[in-house]
Amino acid sequence: MSAASGATSPCAATSPYRSAPLIVVQGVTKRYDGEPALADVSIAIARGEFAFLIGTNGAGKTTLLRILLREEAFDSGVVLVNGVDVSRIRGAALTKFRRRIGVVFQDTRLLPNATVRENVGLPLQVRGRANREIDLAVDDVLDRVALSDKSERFPRQLSGGEQRKVALARAVISKPDVLLCDEPTDSINPTHAREIMGLLLEINSDGVTTLVATHDSEIVNNLRRRVIRMDAGAILADEPVGVFSAT
Amino acid sequence: MTAKLNVLRYILGAAMLGLWRNRTMTLGAIVTTAVMLVTLAAFLAINDTLNEMVTALGRKSNLIAYVRDDARPSRVTEIMRDLEQRPGVGEVVFVTKEDALRTFQERFFDQRDVIDILQANPLPASVELRMDDPAVLPGLADELRGMTEVFESVAVPLDVVERLISISNVSRAAGTAMIIALTGVALFVIANTIRIAVYARRQEIEIMKLVGATDWFVRGPFLIEGAFIGLVGATLAAVALVVLYLQAAPTVTRIISFLPIATDVSFVRNLAVFIILVGLVVGSIGSYVSVRRYLAV
Repeated sequence: MSAASGATSPCAATSPYRSAPLIVVQGVTKRYDGEPALADVSIAIARGEFAFLIGTNGAGKTTLLRILLREEAFDSGVVLVNGVDVSRIRGAALTKFRRRIGVVFQDTRLLPNATVRENVGLPLQVRGRANREIDLAVDDVLDRVALSDKSERFPRQLSGGEQRKVALARAVISKPDVLLCDEPTDSINPTHAREIMGLLLEINSDGVTTLVATHDSEIVNNLRRRVIRMDAGAILADEPVGVFSAT
Repeated sequence: MTAKLNVLRYILGAAMLGLWRNRTMTLGAIVTTAVMLVTLAAFLAINDTLNEMVTALGRKSNLIAYVRDDARPSRVTEIMRDLEQRPGVGEVVFVTKEDALRTFQERFFDQRDVIDILQANPLPASVELRMDDPAVLPGLADELRGMTEVFESVAVPLDVVERLISISNVSRAAGTAMIIALTGVALFVIANTIRIAVYARRQEIEIMKLVGATDWFVRGPFLIEGAFIGLVGATLAAVALVVLYLQAAPTVTRIISFLPIATDVSFVRNLAVFIILVGLVVGSIGSYVSVRRYLAV
């Protein structure tokens, strides 16, 4: 087990890749009503890397993902995603920035009054793509997540696992540089969980940098990928090939 | 350019879908808008009738300037022309000496003794003014009194005039205050209804922003939906108003014949157009403002 990377340069953090990091988090601190959510967190994720963020509830995983998407501001430190200083982007630049990031939210955040097809196609709609192009891309990605037969259903008509797959399809349809997933296998059956993890690996193999926050020990232990362990808002450990049980 | 057209097409489609898929909320907002605008329009009509009543009462107040026998007719004509142009003056009538005598005889036809005493016609000719606005009467009377070469005396029922001015002022001030208050309430209720409709869909706004939508992409459908709700609600209110007005006004006028209710088409049409515009503007602005607070994601 390596030492927590908080004290060292994030660029020198353990990584199987030699390329420049796509995500750099350096000395980031975030407080909610005076309570620390992140305390001097530093990590670096290389382009094309797959990493798990693990930890119990309240460890700071979701806060860190929200900061990477610039959904949340932070109190101090530096966050660079694809060379962009996240704390400085506003307006049109923020819109452009978010178009390069795919996200699977913990609560999926699908549009309740939109069909699966409309939800998945949304990232392309916001870019002003033609309907025919969107339809082709949606068909392709729904085929990939095995939901082609449910394209006209509404989210409430799907199981939890299917909703996660729709959220994943929406996250990757625009071929983002980075994929952030917050508990993608939470509260779903093991079959769906394995399917989703298989899809994440497949997407990662296409070169999409993937960061997955989870407390699903089975998934982490089986995949044998980089594990960044968090607790109480701090990085406890950063292991190139980690296992969940190793605390 | 193509991307912008695609976005525009999406916004229009999303607005129509949004209205349909949130139809309970849409219907509620439309009904609320219609009810508030009918109330506002009804009050505007009542206020207009009250103002007309006061103006009609004002028309009953006259000023009579008695013309000297030796006054030059051309000068009298010149003054009458000038008076006709004055604001607040409704009608200017010249009553000749003969007309005055005839009126006198008609009024006192049962008192032959009084009439027989009159050897010659002692009654002066006069200029009578019927007013639209009684407030200008006192000033006008003073002005005419100053023309001593033309008028021998000027008669004004000052106590009546003062009372009319007072009633007119109170009625207009109260009417204006009520209209401002009711307009404020109507706008608040309509905007709030739209705000609640937007609040119910705030998560949609947040999601769209997080997948990289621009503010206008998010705002567009809501803006169209708000305008649609305002327009349909106001159109329903306008139709209800026209039907009610055209049905009720003749009956009310027949029962209370002294009420000067405006039953002409142009009044109702203008009122209907006004409330449709109000609905459209409030619906659009209400949506714009409501969405704005959720865009800061």
